Amino acid sequence: MPSSHTEPRTGGPAGRAGGVIHDIGYRPYAGPRGGHGAIARSLYLTGVRNVFGLGRSGKSKILPFALLALNVLPAVIIVGVVTFIGLSSLPLAYPEYAATTTILLGTFAAAQGPILFSRDLRHGTISLYLARPLSATAYALARWGALATGIFAFVMAPILVMYLGALLAQMDAGEQTTDFLAATLVSLLLAGMLASVSGLFSAIALRRGFAVVGTIGTILFGYGVVAVIQGISLEQDQERVGEIAGLFHPMTLYAGLVNVLTDADNAITPPTGAAMEVLYVVVSVLLALGGLGLLLLRYRRLATR
Amino acid sequence: MSTLTFDKVSRWYGNVVAVNDVSMEIGPGVTGLLGPNGAGKSTLIALMAGFLSPSAGTVHLDGAPVWRNAGIFRQIGLVPEREVAFGYLTGRQFVQANAELHGLPDPGAACEAALATVEMSDAAARRIGTYSKGMRQRVKLASALVHDPGVLLLDEPFNGVDPRQRMHLMSLLTRFGSEGRTVLFSSHILEEVEQVARHVEVVVSGRHAASGDFGAIRRLMTDRPNRYVVQTSDDRALAAALIADPSVIGVVLAPRGGLEIEVGDFGSFAVSLPRIARGLGVRLIEVSPTDESLESVFSYLVSS
Amino acid sequence: MNPTIVRLSAQALFGRRRGLMMLVIPVVLLALTLVVRLLTEPGTAYTEIVGELGRDLALPLVALLAATAVLGPEIDDGSIVYLLAKPVNRWSVALSKYAVALGATLGFGALPVLLAGLVNDAGNPGTAVAMLAGAVLAAFTYSGLFLALCAFTRHAVVAGLLFVFLWEGTLGNLLSGVRWLSVSAWARDLAAAFSDRIDAAASVGTPYAVVAALVVVVGGVAFAGWRLSTFSLTGET
Repeated sequence: MPSSHTEPRTGGPAGRAGGVIHDIGYRPYAGPRGGHGAIARSLYLTGVRNVFGLGRSGKSKILPFALLALNVLPAVIIVGVVTFIGLSSLPLAYPEYAATTTILLGTFAAAQGPILFSRDLRHGTISLYLARPLSATAYALARWGALATGIFAFVMAPILVMYLGALLAQMDAGEQTTDFLAATLVSLLLAGMLASVSGLFSAIALRRGFAVVGTIGTILFGYGVVAVIQGISLEQDQERVGEIAGLFHPMTLYAGLVNVLTDADNAITPPTGAAMEVLYVVVSVLLALGGLGLLLLRYRRLATR
Repeated sequence: MSTLTFDKVSRWYGNVVAVNDVSMEIGPGVTGLLGPNGAGKSTLIALMAGFLSPSAGTVHLDGAPVWRNAGIFRQIGLVPEREVAFGYLTGRQFVQANAELHGLPDPGAACEAALATVEMSDAAARRIGTYSKGMRQRVKLASALVHDPGVLLLDEPFNGVDPRQRMHLMSLLTRFGSEGRTVLFSSHILEEVEQVARHVEVVVSGRHAASGDFGAIRRLMTDRPNRYVVQTSDDRALAAALIADPSVIGVVLAPRGGLEIEVGDFGSFAVSLPRIARGLGVRLIEVSPTDESLESVFSYLVSS
Repeated sequence: MNPTIVRLSAQALFGRRRGLMMLVIPVVLLALTLVVRLLTEPGTAYTEIVGELGRDLALPLVALLAATAVLGPEIDDGSIVYLLAKPVNRWSVALSKYAVALGATLGFGALPVLLAGLVNDAGNPGTAVAMLAGAVLAAFTYSGLFLALCAFTRHAVVAGLLFVFLWEGTLGNLLSGVRWLSVSAWARDLAAAFSDRIDAAASVGTPYAVVAALVVVVGGVAFAGWRLSTFSLTGET
């Protein structure tokens, strides 16, 4: 807090004689300035670093990197086993990996979202950002992009490990690369969807704990609900119902997409028919962009308040 | 009548020493805890209120240890610097809850009395979330007053409070002090302390730098002989002129350059040194007191 | 127990939006149960809905939310000093907070398990009651565990999530030894003891389950009380 006892620099109210502003050498910044793009870019990069605790205290690096280590560990084991036994293909398709480690992925997305979205709102520092030339829209976009990038990196790290392991084990490079690229594409969509869910909860709940439980509740409990519906519909020979239910959750959308784009199969009721397949792609994109849109709306309203 | 006693209290966090070997007694009346930001004032208040264990030494209230002794809160009213996070309660609900937690026989009446004391009766039906800073500060004070404590500890009570409400808070503290309560408040602003407290405890960098009557401290610092080391552009010329000045008792030319000056009357020395130097055209490169215990108090009091 | 602390905690829990959040989970669960019941015959996906969704997923989430709401924010921002600067026994503060968290978990976590069971298979109310017994044990235990976690670390939520879903869930499925340190396994066990229609995959024995749960509850509340009694007011953080 500024001390109220520093010497006043101005001579007080106008009209008082003897006042003077001393030139003690302060100069305004006159050098080149980055444009809006540069501001947004630096905000984005800081955000990506912050998701992993980089540029923050040592303590805040523990959680993201512990989760990352847990997430990569099975991939390392798989690669080790594959090379040891000498299999000619991976036991787990690339995109199946994220479905298997949903808990880690969900926890990561839920725990790191509040870092980018809740703090500025709760502590009121958001007004400092919005007082800069950067618009509320650009702020929200940069934050969302940073979170999505972080989640994407989290999803891709073990897949990359498996891919490199497969190449080193001299598996068919062309086939592996095609699968890897397909996994990259679906992971991008998944990261976008999860970033929207986590970002929205974080921007609304503010308290870290509630944002985390809200996000994880949506990701795990919502997944459970949809999976139950899909399981029942499969049992009752009403697969169509399951396919439609799958449209309502990021993880089942992801499973469906994996089914559409690759030959891996871990959806309970995979989308059938070209129309449904297209619908899965469209809804995934809409979910990611829709969440982003709501975020933009929230920040735009904050800016005009 | 209650007395808080610090006996050789230190508190450190890892390698950082927040409070260094402090011994003091805080008795009835208003005491100001004065020190710059980060001096350890909040740590001291946390130690007094039993919200921190001393790393070494003891803190007692009328002979009873305060750490892990919830019973002392019957006598202590604490106004933390921390904001009230119960923004969803009304001022009255909050103060009433405090009264109930103290197990008072008639919490309702105690609550109203406390609210009246801080002149918050009218606004008490509003939610705390809607209060201004000064109102929050007064509700916090009311919540600390409900059980009519003999000891009142306030951490930076005037921070961010507008001048009118500040006057009001000050007059309340003065009143509590004259009622025989032990009132201690912290501040980093000299004028605030001067207006309310006759008795001051000064902490600088975690050390107990001075204590006693404010005026007496100032006199002690100005009257006693002090030593200064002065680096100049022409030591010998300045030394010759200084020895002629009545405020100076002795001047020694230091072997490695510079002057060691013993000063009898600091007040006039502070005026004459620059005047003499200027008259001779000698540049003063550095003036520093060598008396360390005083240096810290001095630099703090003078710079504020 | 302290009625004032109970009242303040209940206000912190239900008086705000987060109370609504806690309501969403059981409402979704019951809506799903109802839809499934209307479209299929009784008893369809009983284990999946009542056991896996209701008891193993919804209940711990509710318990975590409740424990965080009664203790987390106050410790986080230090405003708990207003409750602690009182001549009130610290363990009674912990116990009061536990009672509120438990009440919410019973109401929004355990009761829906019973209701879901009754709706899904009205012909076998005994099974639903047995599920409730397990859920009640889980509610008591999770509340104590999460309260202790909240008093211990700022990352209580994440730690709790990892415990429930990674340790009890994923690892519990792979390594059967996990059941000895798994609240959901104890709850399954107790439920199985009350009804033949529920099978406990690998049993720890009902006495063990009950005693272990009791130890966690008492230990959790005692630990939370101890943390409160040594609560330190630090400077700026």
